[in-house]
Amino acid sequence: MKVQNSCRGSKQKAGEKMGEVIVSMKDIVKTFPGVKALDHVNFELRSGEVMALLGENGAGKSTLMKILSGVYTKDSGTMTIFGTEYENLTPKQAQAVGVAIIHQELNMCRNLSVAENMFLGREKVNGIVLNDREMEAEAAKILGDLKIDIDPRQTVGDLPVSKQQMVEIAKALSIHAKILIMDEPTSSLTAKEIDELFRIIRQLKADGCGIVYISHRLEELKAIVDRVTIMRDGQYITDGNFKDMTMDQIIANMVGREIKEQFPRVSCPKGKKVFEVRNLNAGHLVRDINFSLYEGEIVGFAGLMGAGRTETTRAIFGVDPKTGGEIFLDGKEVKISCPMDAIKAGIVLAPEDRKKDGLCTKLSIRHNLALPNLDLICSKLGVISRKQEDDLCEKAVKDLLIKTPTVEVNAGNLSGGNQQKVVVGKWLARNSRVVIFDEPTRGIDVGAKVEIYNLMNQLKKQGIAVMFVSSEMPEVLGIADRVIVMCDGRITGEVMAKETTQNEVLKFATEFEQKKAVG
Amino acid sequence: MREDRMMNEKKQSAVKRILGTRGMGAVITAFAGLIIIYVAFGLIDRKVFAGQNVMNLLRSMSKYLLIGVGQSYLLITGNIDLSIGSMVGMSAMISATLMAMGVNPFVAMAVAMICCLVTGVVNGMLVGKFKLPPFIATLGTMFVTRGVAYMVNNNRNTDAIATGIGKEAGDRFQNFFYYGKTLGVYNTFWIALVIFLIFFFLLSKTRTGRHIYAIGSNVDAAKLSGVNVVNTTIKAYLVSAVCACVVGYILCAQAGMGNMEAGNMYEMYGVAAGVIGGISPLGGTGLLLGTFAGAAVWQTLENGLNMIGAQVGIQRLVIGIIVVFSVLLDVVVRSGNFGKKASK
Repeated sequence: MKVQNSCRGSKQKAGEKMGEVIVSMKDIVKTFPGVKALDHVNFELRSGEVMALLGENGAGKSTLMKILSGVYTKDSGTMTIFGTEYENLTPKQAQAVGVAIIHQELNMCRNLSVAENMFLGREKVNGIVLNDREMEAEAAKILGDLKIDIDPRQTVGDLPVSKQQMVEIAKALSIHAKILIMDEPTSSLTAKEIDELFRIIRQLKADGCGIVYISHRLEELKAIVDRVTIMRDGQYITDGNFKDMTMDQIIANMVGREIKEQFPRVSCPKGKKVFEVRNLNAGHLVRDINFSLYEGEIVGFAGLMGAGRTETTRAIFGVDPKTGGEIFLDGKEVKISCPMDAIKAGIVLAPEDRKKDGLCTKLSIRHNLALPNLDLICSKLGVISRKQEDDLCEKAVKDLLIKTPTVEVNAGNLSGGNQQKVVVGKWLARNSRVVIFDEPTRGIDVGAKVEIYNLMNQLKKQGIAVMFVSSEMPEVLGIADRVIVMCDGRITGEVMAKETTQNEVLKFATEFEQKKAVG
Repeated sequence: MREDRMMNEKKQSAVKRILGTRGMGAVITAFAGLIIIYVAFGLIDRKVFAGQNVMNLLRSMSKYLLIGVGQSYLLITGNIDLSIGSMVGMSAMISATLMAMGVNPFVAMAVAMICCLVTGVVNGMLVGKFKLPPFIATLGTMFVTRGVAYMVNNNRNTDAIATGIGKEAGDRFQNFFYYGKTLGVYNTFWIALVIFLIFFFLLSKTRTGRHIYAIGSNVDAAKLSGVNVVNTTIKAYLVSAVCACVVGYILCAQAGMGNMEAGNMYEMYGVAAGVIGGISPLGGTGLLLGTFAGAAVWQTLENGLNMIGAQVGIQRLVIGIIVVFSVLLDVVVRSGNFGKKASK
């Protein structure tokens, strides 16, 4: 580690001079097993600026910031903070250097007070007695300087999310952080709260802090961002002044590649309407959802993470409670208040998180496949028929080409692609009318992906309505016939896959409600 | 100006500050429940109000208070210590066996304390460092320490301690921990009160106490804030070990000998005292004052039901219902809060 000058000295200098480079990351490489997460990435942050770090999901933004804040260690490359080159940092060292990260999921002790959280791990004491009054006074001073109206004695868990976020910012400042990383800070805030956050960000900027701002809401960047760095697929693409770039340029740089025809599509005539959702509402992320599914059609659901697509599937399937809306199957209304209702009606879901929601990973393939079909293979007395269970498993393994020596293997030991096939296989024994796939290809290799696509096509040919949620735009445009785009819990666009472009879809996907804070 | 305000607040708000402490609501509820139960029994049978009964009540609640304090420390960290009851037995058997052999009482007590502290460290390491589920880790040490309690005197209860250290020293030991009074109140209660106050101070006024609440509330946030989770967990298990050891002395003094089954089920009495007093078994919240109220509620119920002639079965049944009701209240209040958060 080359130490050029003391970190504390340079930190104070940074506070005085604006526009000085305080973070410089060059040729950063980070590999996870099987994936090159960062491939020679460059990143630079100056004091007194807000730097937007942009890119699609999985572009490597979070990985880069986790290296800066000491959560991950880089494989190679150089990282210079306040003129000192650091080989690797621990989270605690990063804090000492002045780097603070404000996580998307807030990381606080909900049962402790604001002041207690701000001073956790470095409490002020008189001898061995905690000096609560001094800590509260200092917390009040920091909060007061930021003009945040929070009582330092209030319990953090009782505060609204926006205020909790302010407390995290105040905590970062109380450890004299000069580099603040904010990951999607506005995702759960209202327009007024965003105004308040932006006011604080501007104040921090004026004080000489460097702020890294990660957000998918391109519209709101206008209000505060000075410069942007764009990443794609783990690579650095470009950076520049925000004012010098058009929104189209930014989007084009984020999306990059042309879509290749690597997706097997079968065309079949669009049949009659199978499934309809009217005015579905369930919480903040499912608002007034209306759509229909037809025979012989795959409908893709595109959008950014947190757009409400998974929540929509869960509300339809009866996992989460609905606050309103009607669901029609073959023209008849069906009442769904729990997954059992949906399954009985013929609506099935292959959920997003295979290991958490899709499979009992510690049970065998046999038990997983049989679980939702026990009513079909049990005698009247509730005894499972081994023969029928065998038949069911044999058929699923054969139809889906599940690669396994026997069905007694634990589902958790299969590869991702084969796990996904088991998840789907659970539902094939039932004559379902609607099959919902939520991110079916996440984390599985290319060959297995194609098998999943083929399976969807097969269902489509059988006249089953397929709802296909995916964050990977190429596959949505390549496999689906029609694409519905969601943003912030609402449907913001509907396009035919063959007639649209990624840029158009991304525009719909970032069409947030006009909030006051923007512009 | 702000400093003026702080000064003003300082003067006028000492009482307000205490009443505004987190978890004070549950404590006040528990004390209110205590008074209602006590008065209700008193109205049925006036003997409940008699001075001697009050003294007995204070003495017998002391054991539950100590055990409750130890268990509350663990509940607040979001863990549990099932080995407390067995440690009580181990402490009683080790000190009684040594005294019956004629070993100086101080030495005997010190040996028992060392054994309990070692158990506490082992518990803390298993849970804090090796990340064993606390239920399993302390289930193991529960059997081990009970086994030690049996083995100390070759699977037999001890002889009277007076046979070893002599009648005079034996009486002094028994009076100090159980039969003697100071200022008209049994020593047992004073001992429990002093230990309670020490651990009350430790939990509410020191850095260690703050860290205990923090790891119970959000262990990841605590770790990222620089809290040493392993050390804090070990400290919490040491507190429960100390409490268990002292209860062992008390039981030894009460009987004048060591009983291999001493302290059986006490770990659960500790949980009950804590949760009745508003200590959440989910971690992060609760005040030791609540444990005080919980231990008193428990003992008042037992005492009152005894006085009015209820059978042991009824006593257990009532206490069981009270425990479930207290936790139910906690769960409902918590989930109510979460519901509000989600809809915002």
